[in-house]
Amino acid sequence: MNEKRIVVGMAGNPNVGKSAIFNALTGSRQHVGNWPGKTIERAEGVFYHGDWEIHLVDLPGTYSLAAQSPEEIIARDYILSGEPDVVVNVVDATSLERNLNLTLQILELTDQVVVALNLMDEVKRQGWEIDVGALEAALGVPVVPTVATEGEGLPQLAAALREMAEGRRQLHPASVDYGLTVEGHVQRLEADLASLGIDGRRRWVALRLLEDDPEIVEAFKGGNLSDCCLREDAPSVSSEALQAVLRRAARLREATRPDARVEIVRRRYEFAHDVVHRVARRLRPVEESLTERVDRIVTHRLWSWPIMLAILVAVLWVTIQGANVPSSWLEGAFGWLAQVTRDFLLEINAPWWVVGSLVDGLIVGTGTVIAVMLPPMVIFFTAFNLLEDIGFIPRVAFNLDRLMRAVGSQGKHTLVAMMSFGCNVTGVLTCRIIENAKDRIVAIVTSPLILCNGRFGAGLALIILFFGNRALPVTLVYLAVSVGAMLLATWVLNQLLFRQEPGGFVMELPPYRKPKWGQVIWRTLVYQVGHTMGRAVMIAAPATLLIWLLGNLPPGAPFERTAIGWLVRTLAPLGRPFGLTGEMLTALLFTLPAKEIVVPSLAMTYGLQTTLVDSEAILDYLAQTWTPLVAFSFLTFFMLYLPCLVTVWATWKETRSLKWTLMSLVVPLVTASGITFAVYQGGRLLGVS
Amino acid sequence: MSARLTEAGEARARELIRAHRLWERYLVDRKGMPLEAVHAEAHRREHETTPEELERLDAELGHPAWDPHGHAIPAPGGRVPSPPGRSLLEEGTPGSRLRIVCLDDETAALLAQLVALGLKPGADVEVLEQKPNLLRLHLDGNIVPLAAAAARHVSVVPAPALPVPLGELPAGSQARVVEAYGGGKHQRRMLDMGFVPGAEVTVIREAPLGDPIEYRIKGTAVALRRKDADTVLVEELRDE
Repeated sequence: MNEKRIVVGMAGNPNVGKSAIFNALTGSRQHVGNWPGKTIERAEGVFYHGDWEIHLVDLPGTYSLAAQSPEEIIARDYILSGEPDVVVNVVDATSLERNLNLTLQILELTDQVVVALNLMDEVKRQGWEIDVGALEAALGVPVVPTVATEGEGLPQLAAALREMAEGRRQLHPASVDYGLTVEGHVQRLEADLASLGIDGRRRWVALRLLEDDPEIVEAFKGGNLSDCCLREDAPSVSSEALQAVLRRAARLREATRPDARVEIVRRRYEFAHDVVHRVARRLRPVEESLTERVDRIVTHRLWSWPIMLAILVAVLWVTIQGANVPSSWLEGAFGWLAQVTRDFLLEINAPWWVVGSLVDGLIVGTGTVIAVMLPPMVIFFTAFNLLEDIGFIPRVAFNLDRLMRAVGSQGKHTLVAMMSFGCNVTGVLTCRIIENAKDRIVAIVTSPLILCNGRFGAGLALIILFFGNRALPVTLVYLAVSVGAMLLATWVLNQLLFRQEPGGFVMELPPYRKPKWGQVIWRTLVYQVGHTMGRAVMIAAPATLLIWLLGNLPPGAPFERTAIGWLVRTLAPLGRPFGLTGEMLTALLFTLPAKEIVVPSLAMTYGLQTTLVDSEAILDYLAQTWTPLVAFSFLTFFMLYLPCLVTVWATWKETRSLKWTLMSLVVPLVTASGITFAVYQGGRLLGVS
Repeated sequence: MSARLTEAGEARARELIRAHRLWERYLVDRKGMPLEAVHAEAHRREHETTPEELERLDAELGHPAWDPHGHAIPAPGGRVPSPPGRSLLEEGTPGSRLRIVCLDDETAALLAQLVALGLKPGADVEVLEQKPNLLRLHLDGNIVPLAAAAARHVSVVPAPALPVPLGELPAGSQARVVEAYGGGKHQRRMLDMGFVPGAEVTVIREAPLGDPIEYRIKGTAVALRRKDADTVLVEELRDE
């Protein structure tokens, strides 16, 4: 065990470059997991400075420590826990006053704070000058100016951390004066707490009691003070005594005009305002910023619509077009791997079922899944993350919030929907950006209704086959049906389950910034593609093996006698009202691991082949046997019917609720059945075949 | 004929005015004397004060900017600012909303009468009616009659607009938050974003469908739904 080891928590507002500093310091020595019991990412990493081992923990980005969101609770509880020896507070120097609101709250919890004053290059560009020495004097803790994207100031930051660890810094943390009234109340409550034997952070607890802080009040009600992190040595206090303190806090709060909650934040901001006034100086007059000029167009009453549509279409087009070539490369590579493995197995006289299941089942099947999924995912998510990184995505949420409000949701839901166009799994994971629990659940459950790239690509092949030169309008109909179904389901869920819950939307619109390519690619490949593909392969591998076995057992049997043949006959009656055959339903079962493999699945269920590879034969066969109405019904059902297994897994992970996971299956299934029934029966009534 | 003071004489006059107004402030704030009584007492004291004593008094009172009647206290050696505002008699057209900034302190009896009516610096009045020698004012829910002769001694400026919900302001407006509500989750988040009393807000634009609205606050852009913005009360700031 290294004696010279410190743990450092990194706190800061969203969008201030916290991750950039974290990545620059730790490089590849990091580990990403979740906070215990929460679906919020916890990144940890290690770096060394001299003989010190510095362990970094990246806290969720928050504007405050008010415990109003899971992120704020995590950040606060972690600082309160005493686990971090030092807290690095990353601060956006271009909006210092807003950021100091958090800094001053952190300083109320611990004096072991180093402030990283980031984005100093932007400060200069905007014509400001910040006196770092004066800021350090005002806050009473070390302040290190940084430009995280360029790596500037990071050695100094590491050195400051080390000095803190060695206790070589004199700290005089700033303390906000909350004014006569509030301070008077705080003193009385502090005295109450002292008489109960509670020591340490009394002032902080007293302030939170005045603010009616949900976590602290809950801890007092439950009689368990260690719950609200008042240190592990919290004395045991009778619950009557705690109730008495709560009652007094409530009385004092009610007697305070204006509202104590408002007054506390106001005084803190006043303090921050004074600090900024002293340390920041404007060198040039304000100019209209690039952000302002771009926003005038991007959020324009008219222009915003074609711009958003064009960008969405461009991303989808680039994804589909760009994925073709690497997909065929990958297919070739897996074909080669299959061939080499087959030759080797035949060489060593392996039995036929080993060769078949391993080569035709596992390698060919899984290879097909990877070949069709991987390239579009990489392209789509890189594009999307770039748009987010430069700041375009929050504008879309801003533009479309009103639309989503009509169905009871909010602007950030549109981002989930757009992410779901790429992959429903990532769509579900994106729901984390929605703070509001109700909106998040609804977004998770409805995201499988959005046509993912897998269904879109596979469906497109069939659309072109059956509708030829009418393919474009038909495709647009499917897109509209998919989005319409998502909106409808959102509305219904909100009406049925969440009538009482208020929604809401408070969102920062960060300035446009140059993309940080390294971070974008890192996030895309490791967090999104890596995680999702890993899961997909783990599900697809056994599934493709099973499918091969179903199609090839008993050995040598004619197609009708195989397990697939049996499935086709058994499922047939279920599909009749919808115009779907047993072959189609069986193929739809096979596509649950990955929707992309629908065409090879059909080839197997129609008995044309016994492995999951693409072939022209099946398309010719389908073109001759399916009528346009049947094809249209099948496609409709396929576009909507069930999320893939990886999405189900993600839904379970994100909700930790059996009810909501089941709901995410029921909602698309009911929607798909209803719409397909209407399409097929309607078509027959109209005499379409 | 107009009398002119020498430069030295003018400096002395400024110092006396400064002493007079500081003493008035002291007598009201520290001694609790009624407003109408301080003029005579301050007049007596102003001539017995050394410059050093005056600076100590100024520091002790926290360098006040205004005397209790609403006159500016000049800085040491500084110019005497002309009294702010215009007379209530001139400005008192029916329907106008005015803020009292200054009372003429020469006649104690008149001052006592004004104070008794509640017409103190800082109070807002609405003019209901204007007759040749009488004004009827609306003040704090009461109707107050005021003789035109008395109104001449009251200086006013246009009252700031009544606080309005933030959501009602059109794009381009600037405003200062006067009241925020600390209750709900979103309101709490808005406080943390900087929508606190005293903060200046600029309305940037509405979203293409009219809602939400983008605001600039504390140097950052924040989007709020109109419904949430309406929980914040603001006074509009006019360009100067």
